[in-house]
Amino acid sequence: MGTSLQPYKFIIFKPNYYSFVTASGVEYICYFTPYAEYFKKYPATISSKFYAFNLELADKKLKPKGVDIRIADTVITIVGDFLNSQINAVVYICDNSDGREAARYRKFLSWFDYYSHPSHQILQVSGDFEVGGIKLYTALLVHKKNKLKKRLIEAYIDLIDYDEDEK
Amino acid sequence: MPSANVNTKKAVRSKRKSKSKAKPMTKLEMVQKMLADQKFIREAIQSGVTFEELRDKYGYKFATV
Repeated sequence: MGTSLQPYKFIIFKPNYYSFVTASGVEYICYFTPYAEYFKKYPATISSKFYAFNLELADKKLKPKGVDIRIADTVITIVGDFLNSQINAVVYICDNSDGREAARYRKFLSWFDYYSHPSHQILQVSGDFEVGGIKLYTALLVHKKNKLKKRLIEAYIDLIDYDEDEK
Repeated sequence: MPSANVNTKKAVRSKRKSKSKAKPMTKLEMVQKMLADQKFIREAIQSGVTFEELRDKYGYKFATV
């Protein structure tokens, strides 16, 4: 297990994704997908700034064991780099396919609570909501110097602010 | 990227409809789509499908990194 508070070296596979391998040989893939389609009531100047962040095991058979704090550091570095443009915002949706979404949510939030981006410039807004019996755990990350941060946060809150009448 | 054979049975998603024909989604439809897309991409990656295939064959878009 990693003990150093150093991110793993990651490879950027242009143009789509990042990859890194942990000390125990587990490979992770990170990528961002546009989320504009979920913010259609907002102008493109807002909706086009939203991206979903995804972190996946490259091989589902190789599962991580124990706690590896360097994974958090690596993810923070990757997301921080993505947000450094001060243009985009990142939404994280916890995978609920294995019933561990709540634990995943707590872990992700703790990563961005405990650590700070090297420039201490990431804002985190989190929220969960339930619709149609599906509980969704989410978080928004945006650079503090993003000029649209207020509108981006408002749009995100609107997304997670579920009203039964909207069903 | 894993070099495993593509599981074609799993990769059955068709290309997205054009934006102009898509009707507004309800919150429930949004949530279902978010999770379904996330699951599809995850399983595709773990089956050895490349990002280029996800883009060209299944219509997914990815941010430039």
